[in-house]
Amino acid sequence: MSVPLLVARGLARRYSMKRGLFGAPTAVAAVEGLDLTLDQGRTLGLVGESGCGKSTTGRMVLGMEAPDAGSIAFAGQPMPRPGSAAWRALRARMQMVFQDPLGALDRRLTIGAQVAEPLVIHGIGTRADRPERVAALLADVGLRPDHAGRYPHELSGGQRQRAVLARALATSPELLVCDEPISALDVSIQAQVMNLLTEIQARLGLTMLFISHDLRAVRQVSHRVAVMYLGRIVEEGAPDAVLHDPAHPYAQALVSAIPGQQGVRRIRLQGDPPNPADRPQGCAFHPRCPLAGPVCRQAVPELKPRPGDGRLVACHVAQGEISPPMQRAA
Amino acid sequence: MSVTTLNAAPARRSWQLPPPLVLFGLCWLALMLAVALLAPLITPYSYTALDLRNRLSAPIGMGGTMAHWLGTDELGRDVLSRLISSIRMSLTIAFGATIIGALIGTTLGLLAAWARGLVEQAVLMLVDFSASIPFLILALAVLAFFGNSLPLFICLLGLHAWERYARIARGLAISAGSQGYAAAVRQLGASPLRVYLLHILPNIASTLIVSMTLAFPEIILLESGLSFLGLGVQPPETSLGSMVGYGREYLTRAPWILLSPAIIIVFTTLSVSLIGDWLRDKLDPTLR
Amino acid sequence: MARFLAGRLLRAFITLFLVVTFAFVVLRLSGDPAQIIMGADAPHEAVAAFRQAWGLDKSLWEQYLGYVGSIFTGDLGRSMRDGRPAAALVAERIPATLALTIPALFLKLGLGIPAGIYAALHRNSAIDRVVMLVAVAGFTIPSFVLGLLLVLVFAVQLGWLPSGGQESWRHAILPVITLGIGGAAVLARFTRSAMLEVLGQPYIRTASAKGVPWRRVVSGHAAPNAAIPTVTIIGFMFGSLIAGAVVVESVFSWPGVGRLMVVAVANRDLAVVQCVLLLVSFTMVAANFTVDLLYGLIDPRLRTGAQGGH
Repeated sequence: MSVPLLVARGLARRYSMKRGLFGAPTAVAAVEGLDLTLDQGRTLGLVGESGCGKSTTGRMVLGMEAPDAGSIAFAGQPMPRPGSAAWRALRARMQMVFQDPLGALDRRLTIGAQVAEPLVIHGIGTRADRPERVAALLADVGLRPDHAGRYPHELSGGQRQRAVLARALATSPELLVCDEPISALDVSIQAQVMNLLTEIQARLGLTMLFISHDLRAVRQVSHRVAVMYLGRIVEEGAPDAVLHDPAHPYAQALVSAIPGQQGVRRIRLQGDPPNPADRPQGCAFHPRCPLAGPVCRQAVPELKPRPGDGRLVACHVAQGEISPPMQRAA
Repeated sequence: MSVTTLNAAPARRSWQLPPPLVLFGLCWLALMLAVALLAPLITPYSYTALDLRNRLSAPIGMGGTMAHWLGTDELGRDVLSRLISSIRMSLTIAFGATIIGALIGTTLGLLAAWARGLVEQAVLMLVDFSASIPFLILALAVLAFFGNSLPLFICLLGLHAWERYARIARGLAISAGSQGYAAAVRQLGASPLRVYLLHILPNIASTLIVSMTLAFPEIILLESGLSFLGLGVQPPETSLGSMVGYGREYLTRAPWILLSPAIIIVFTTLSVSLIGDWLRDKLDPTLR
Repeated sequence: MARFLAGRLLRAFITLFLVVTFAFVVLRLSGDPAQIIMGADAPHEAVAAFRQAWGLDKSLWEQYLGYVGSIFTGDLGRSMRDGRPAAALVAERIPATLALTIPALFLKLGLGIPAGIYAALHRNSAIDRVVMLVAVAGFTIPSFVLGLLLVLVFAVQLGWLPSGGQESWRHAILPVITLGIGGAAVLARFTRSAMLEVLGQPYIRTASAKGVPWRRVVSGHAAPNAAIPTVTIIGFMFGSLIAGAVVVESVFSWPGVGRLMVVAVANRDLAVVQCVLLLVSFTMVAANFTVDLLYGLIDPRLRTGAQGGH
């Protein structure tokens, strides 16, 4: 039924952190062994706490960073090397919405000039019909034509994010990656931008990767949800299933932390917050996991369908491979 | 126009008059530029014309005649005329050298930011190198090795302070590229040339211009110093520094030969420094 | 700390290597030294003999190796004008230069640092403004103008002091003042801004809020921290003990290294020019290295080498 637009297999991205001039570089794995499929016209929500590698995943999906291992195929073609001519041409088909719209806009150029820039870069249309196209794009994202003459600092935060979105949509891309698009906005404006994103996704049939740490935002826009922990996807499935009845202990803790729920006991995680420079052996979550057994300290659990209901989860306990310790948790 | 947009926009910089010293600096600089541009029109004599009957004549107010307002030198050449042509020469050199320095430094800095890796290390090594050797000595060595000509002299002075622009341009470009607008534009598919020339350069221009106003007086001082030593501008051409250098011989008998160019040098460097400090505080407080 | 030192030492060596190579390359680029020295119309045999004598007939690579080797053995060539070893010519001028630059350095430190601290502590007062204006003026008046003005007033008009030469300590007074005032102005500006920056830090406010007497806040907390950036510029001043007096020595006909350099440049006496260039670079690099060491001692943050950019 669904056709994959982008398929990523076994992605890994390691940064080397150097201490001092001659210090031995230590590898920090931001992403490790990650599989991802983006289906045509669907939205995948990627959640996880900060530092779990979701933004790195987003940049790799866009090809802005080359993975250290693994492969990415966009529309059946391998991702070209970043910066190459083929890569630049491909930008017209995949775009990004940033966390900080003010930082993503050039403060010396008008909104109109910046929305028109992708058209100029990719040689779309003629100089004469660009103003019209810009006006249409601005209208699409709920800005007025006269906003084209304004400078970024003259707009409000929500308007700026709309302008960034208009710029991203200028080349009619197939894939849109939104990296924390609402976390820098006022709460009152977040809902507007969320609605706009869902509406545009549906209207244009965009394929979208929505990255956020906000579970409720992810649920609102996504067709599927993937939960990340320390560079890996630990659970993936339909939003209602993952967010109402999480299978992975980490996802359970995450969901229980959503405020304003009734009848849900909050799971407090113990231990240190995850540190990508010091990844635990076995399941990365085991030091904080209330259910962890000896196997969890040795073997990395695979993301695979759970026996029974076929939910994708990477957990020895949830897979029934080991039994949880007697009533210690929950 | 909604009220919120009006509130969201920061208040426009209100244009108030700069402080009196800066105002003086601006007026003085305007006067100097006018003199330099109009030199051939306003000069009373040619700067090489001899008036052997009026050698070492004093300026008006020290017993001189209306024929030579600022007096004459040992060959009877009109000091005012020489002063005007010296101002033109010194400002030309200073402007030329400042622009060359900014061009070289900015280009190398942006190149380092774009290429990273070995190119960046090489540029940083050169920056370290030129920051650690006193420029005057380096300039003297080059003049000794290559001899002197005006274009070479301007280029040589252009190397002064290039490393400052390189540092600034590299630092700003890297920070713009890592998270900000430059990364966003690159993501749109823009070529590096477009990212650097159309986006990064205009955004860092104000910082670079402030650095230029801070380097300009230093270049005037360098030029006049070298010319004073007889190693800069060569006769028959004349610059402010070489006028002081030659006037030195007549310090006791005809101090006016030396005093008028000296005053011009001091006022000009002072003016540009004051303007530069003011601009820096106004545009870019992060620059030290 | 050892790693930090090794890094700095490596940098110092790279800079020196660059200077040596620069001198060599520029020397070869500037044309045929033999022709320059002998003149364009010198007979062929004479030029060839000169080449052989100076090793100019070998390949560039051999010349370079020989050149580096001779620098290590302290052989910096002979003055192409009077045939004496360049290193000896330069060395005998060093005491005269130091006789000017060392007293001037004390003058700079003694005037500049107190003035800068005072101005910072009385920010925006009338005295602050006067100090800063004098500092800007001191920085923008070229040393040759200042020197000649001093000569005009104290030697020509008042007749109190000699105008040039090196016969007695009285001859040194005007050049030392000329050198000292310019440097003091730079140092005052720098110290003031370093102090102001430190005084704005939270720990200063904390210290004074705790009830530490203000005098102790300044001497115990603010001044030591402001000293860190100031060390750089003082190091630069130490590094220019040799090179900093080029113009002033010429103004006062003082027979130091700077005067020698100017004359050598005018005569295109390349061996001497190169020798001064190397000497100045070595002192500068040594001073920078010492500053780095001091930094490591004063500022523990730098010892770990945790600098940005990588």
